[in-house]
Amino acid sequence: MTDTPMSGASTATLNKPPAALEIIDLEVAYIVRGVPREVLRGVSFTVAPGEAFGLVSESGCGKSTSAYAALRYLPRNGRITGGKVMVDGDDITAMNTSQLQKFRATEASMVYQDPGQALNPSVRVGRQIIESFTLLGQNKSQAHESALKALHKVRIAAPESVMDRFPFQLSGGMQQRVVIAMALACDPKLLVLDEPTTGLDATVEAEVLDLVRTLRQESDAAILMIAHNLGIIRNMCDRVGVMYAGKIVEQGVCADVFDNPQHPYTVGLLRSLPRHGIRKTDRALATIPGILPLIGTTLPTCVYVDRCPIATDLCRTEVPPVVTIGDDPGRFTRCHYPDRVKDIPEDLAPVGISMLTQRADQPDVLELSHVSKTFRQRGHDIPALVDVELELGEGETLGIVGESGSGKSTLAKTMLGIEAADDGGQVSLDGHGLEGVAAKRSADDKRSMQMVFQNPDSALNRAWSVRRILVRSVRKLTGVGADEANKRVEALAAHLRLTPRHLDLKPRQLSGGLKQRVAIARAFAGDPRIVVCDEPTSALDVSVQAAILNLLADLQAQQKTSYVFITHDMGVVRYLADRIAVMYLGRIQEVGLTDDVFKGPHHPYTEALLSAVPNVDGEEKVRIRLDGEIPTPANPPSGCVFHPRCPRVIMGVCDVTEPALLEVAPNHSMRCHIPVEELRVLQNIE
Amino acid sequence: MSLDPEPVPTVVDPVTPNVNVVAGERKQARRENFRLLIKRPGFVIGALVSLFWVVCAIFGDAITPYDPLNFRTTKHLKPFGKYIFGTDQSGRDIVSRVMAGARDVLIVAPPAAIFGVLAGTMLGLIMGYFGGWVDSVLSRVVDAFLALPVLLIALLALVTLGKSRVVVIIVVSILFAPVVSRTIRAAVLAERDLDYVTSARLRGEGSIFIMFREILPNVSGPIVVELTVRIGYAVFTIATLSFLGVGPPPPSPDWGAQVSDGYGVLSAGIWWPTIFPALAIATLVIAVNLMADAVQSVLEG
Amino acid sequence: MARFLLKRLGLAIITLWLLATIVFAIVNVLPGNVGRQVLGPFASQQSVDAYNHELGTDRPLINQYSKSLTNLATFDFGNSYSTKEDVAPKITKALFRSAKLAGLALILTVPIGIAAGAYAARRKDKLADRTIVMTGLATSSMPEFVTATILVALFCSSRDSYFRAFADPPDGTSFFGQFKYLFMPGLAMAIVYFGYIARITRAGVINALEADYSRTAIMKGLTSGRVMRRHVLRNALGPTISVVGVQIGYLFGGILGVEKVFNYHGLGTEILNAIGNQDLPILSAAVLTVGIVYMLATLAADVLIAWLNPRVLLETKR
Repeated sequence: MTDTPMSGASTATLNKPPAALEIIDLEVAYIVRGVPREVLRGVSFTVAPGEAFGLVSESGCGKSTSAYAALRYLPRNGRITGGKVMVDGDDITAMNTSQLQKFRATEASMVYQDPGQALNPSVRVGRQIIESFTLLGQNKSQAHESALKALHKVRIAAPESVMDRFPFQLSGGMQQRVVIAMALACDPKLLVLDEPTTGLDATVEAEVLDLVRTLRQESDAAILMIAHNLGIIRNMCDRVGVMYAGKIVEQGVCADVFDNPQHPYTVGLLRSLPRHGIRKTDRALATIPGILPLIGTTLPTCVYVDRCPIATDLCRTEVPPVVTIGDDPGRFTRCHYPDRVKDIPEDLAPVGISMLTQRADQPDVLELSHVSKTFRQRGHDIPALVDVELELGEGETLGIVGESGSGKSTLAKTMLGIEAADDGGQVSLDGHGLEGVAAKRSADDKRSMQMVFQNPDSALNRAWSVRRILVRSVRKLTGVGADEANKRVEALAAHLRLTPRHLDLKPRQLSGGLKQRVAIARAFAGDPRIVVCDEPTSALDVSVQAAILNLLADLQAQQKTSYVFITHDMGVVRYLADRIAVMYLGRIQEVGLTDDVFKGPHHPYTEALLSAVPNVDGEEKVRIRLDGEIPTPANPPSGCVFHPRCPRVIMGVCDVTEPALLEVAPNHSMRCHIPVEELRVLQNIE
Repeated sequence: MSLDPEPVPTVVDPVTPNVNVVAGERKQARRENFRLLIKRPGFVIGALVSLFWVVCAIFGDAITPYDPLNFRTTKHLKPFGKYIFGTDQSGRDIVSRVMAGARDVLIVAPPAAIFGVLAGTMLGLIMGYFGGWVDSVLSRVVDAFLALPVLLIALLALVTLGKSRVVVIIVVSILFAPVVSRTIRAAVLAERDLDYVTSARLRGEGSIFIMFREILPNVSGPIVVELTVRIGYAVFTIATLSFLGVGPPPPSPDWGAQVSDGYGVLSAGIWWPTIFPALAIATLVIAVNLMADAVQSVLEG
Repeated sequence: MARFLLKRLGLAIITLWLLATIVFAIVNVLPGNVGRQVLGPFASQQSVDAYNHELGTDRPLINQYSKSLTNLATFDFGNSYSTKEDVAPKITKALFRSAKLAGLALILTVPIGIAAGAYAARRKDKLADRTIVMTGLATSSMPEFVTATILVALFCSSRDSYFRAFADPPDGTSFFGQFKYLFMPGLAMAIVYFGYIARITRAGVINALEADYSRTAIMKGLTSGRVMRRHVLRNALGPTISVVGVQIGYLFGGILGVEKVFNYHGLGTEILNAIGNQDLPILSAAVLTVGIVYMLATLAADVLIAWLNPRVLLETKR
């Protein structure tokens, strides 16, 4: 671990002032029950002033630890066991407490993952920002002035009123702007962004990222950005480091690393993403076999050797060298065989899978007509779903996309009978009407429709063994006896690649991916006609997500099951879905075959959603941005509910009447006043 | 949306989570908890002291040096002589009476705690699971009960209903149930919103099944904690009741009654008839609470 | 705020009504003849009937019930059975004397408990923390009368002790002169409540220190003292305040044992005498009075919490 790679910035800029951030051979360990467990095992990189450097990896590889270590903030049981962190030439690992406080107050700042939690809930926003300025020695009124300016800088329209509010009275996007304003207070030399948009809605995320991009031009701060979303890193950063098991395994200029990866892990990571608009018929997503080495265990010579498709005996006996690629000394990979990386074979599509290109010949399994759902809360009506019309064919995957408040989860609950639809709406299965609530539905109807939840930790009873979970479902849904149920469970488990050993474990003894497999197995326990998947992969790492998506595609190919697939991830829905419904504020705004929805002409909201996706492929897109907050369903705008945020709004029309959902092309409907031909022109679609 | 991919909690334990497959069998969790418990000095000390008093309670005068009720000698003999804790105002051997007195507390406190926890658990399950108006109404009643000065209500009830062990057990358990129900309700509320409950409904399970088979095992931690904590409080309450004069009648060697009998001569320097039974109460409640504390940190920490 | 107060006050009144009903039920409705139970099996039927008549238990239940509620509303509890005195002024006087003791206990225990809890939280898992936690656990386990007897044995057991085992100051004792009488009984209670307050404060501070907003404050470059004062304590003290509120109610339960040990003539002694004299009017009035005190204390605590934590207010508004 002495092979410190030469970083690009430090050699190329010999005569320039010191790097804004230079991390040299950093080692960090967490002390667990008295035993140090290594998390960072010799991390080195450099960020020049004004440069943005990204770190990417899956969970548990140490990228957040690196970010916090850059400001010397570690959990109570964390220790820097080796190496240095130099900021603007000063070694912060050698600072005493008051030096460190001064450093944090004047030189470096951070923007956090969850802005709602990062702000003090019982202190007014203004006071929290002012505090950042008084730390710089400003008096009360100066600091107040500065705070107003800072809010103005992060594009907050009415700074006075925002200062007077409490954090929980602001939306997520606003909260993050406030955090950014505080971070910029000291005009930092180093700005660390830790997953700054995770948890925000796509259109809000796009706004915040735009803001950061603009602010970068106004400041000379070096940026260290952590994200699990590779697209964000590609769009925001100049250079990137790919981390695995506490080491940077590959580093270089973003475009080069993402388009021309030189380490097998980077290749696996990128291929597990549904990129370049691939569909399930094109190929299966790559999965990375095996698991991440546990933190604190002794690593093999090459950290990735156990999961690498091209590993040889050499990889097990010798530590791979740092191989620089091309002329840039900051472009390197830690691999014995960077030349062979290109030859790693791609996975094939599952046998028997097909994509529906039209749907007239499909018998509908599920039909929703005039389905609305109104919640009553403290005497107010909150329309969560408004007049939804949908149908789902056999073996079809219907993707449902939308942001928070769009009603996509309520739609799922209404289909399944977790919530009863309002009177006048009807959910039909194979042509017969269903009871509103699941409890009243027949055993066969219950069996026919099951659900896979977002978070397997919540969806599996942690007091039960996997076997008990599955056996109970099989018995309850099919009515078979205990012996038969046991046999079926074993067959089912084998089918989902769960071993008999897994059956006797409790959920907490399984990894996230395995847990989600169990949850899928449970949904399939009674041979369902329809499975509703509510964000089934959003809690998982991308390589695990790939395995789950492959599994779902496989199961569908074999059993002709129909899926309702709810997601906020446009890449995933494009890969898996035959048709897509786009929802906003409880209404379906657009529904059509996946290709049509992606190709356009789109509903302006769909257009905005697509523009908001930080694309990992670096392809240029027409970009439209939305302003303002997502309205709450409790108080929907007049006319077209999207009109206040719509960049293509026609005032006098859109704010008066709500457009109907009309078919604009075969199998393609939209809820928009603008004629489709005009949209085609506006959106530059051939 | 997506879960936080790499949090930095205050204490990071990178070893336990997301282990692909950890060897494990059914009873392992329970055994593991027990192993963690007996590693804690607090638990071991608490358990040993409690065990001592349980032994005293079971065997009573069979193991005391003298007959705790009928043996008499000179009154107010100083301790650490022939009679190691001295003698009381009637010339009875204090060490024998302190040992025998364990029975009076331990025959009442644990049953009162157990019944209180049982009733509280039922109530908490019902409130937490059904929610809505059921919860609103029951919560109001529970709040009112929580506002009751436990000791005073117990006194009032013992005066009007008669001073018997059964009444003590019933009254104390009724007064404990609301406190327990609140804890259990909170735990059940957190469970009720989890998707495994939704999933159970989707496959057609009834409320009783979901409450008792799905949710109950997941709130066993708080129940066990409540039970140990309540035993401590029951000892506390019952000792106080008998000190205040509504405990077992004389010449019972009940600890509270002994303190009550002897405290008048404390200021005259005759401390031993009071302090030894008082210390007996202290050791027992501290022991039980040490165990409760350990159980709590193992099950909830 | 007004809305929150009204709502909270409404709840308090409902709770008080339930409390009155429970007390009424115990005294009047539960099976058995109160007079017989109280006077014992050897009393003559005549005296039992007279007792029941005095209490009004021979009248229709509904009349008794409505009368008991009216009594509560007008703070009129009738006359004592044993001394025939008016109950209300007697109880008020005793309450005032007990409040003095309880107040002293709170003054002693709340600041020390909070300081110890906050200190322990900052030294989590270190020796100081373990010591504070274990001390608190031990002292809060013991009934008040046990602590009280131990204190008497240690500090008041000889004629030349500064502190007095008989806590009633003679009439006319100056404000500061009362100290040597009241300090020990106050301390006996303070010791018991110290543990609760320290423990709950510690938990609250640990939570707040682990919260993301504390991390933000540290990363801003604030000194740890400022982080504590400006960001941690405000959010951490909510549970402590509600525990103190609840404990003011408990203080009046625990005070019985302490008053008995120190021969102090407060509410506790009134209650114990009432038990001795089978004086149900005084007993139920005392229970209700303690209930009212408890109600007011928790109400005050809730208002204070709402003031500290604006989210609470907003949630009632919605």
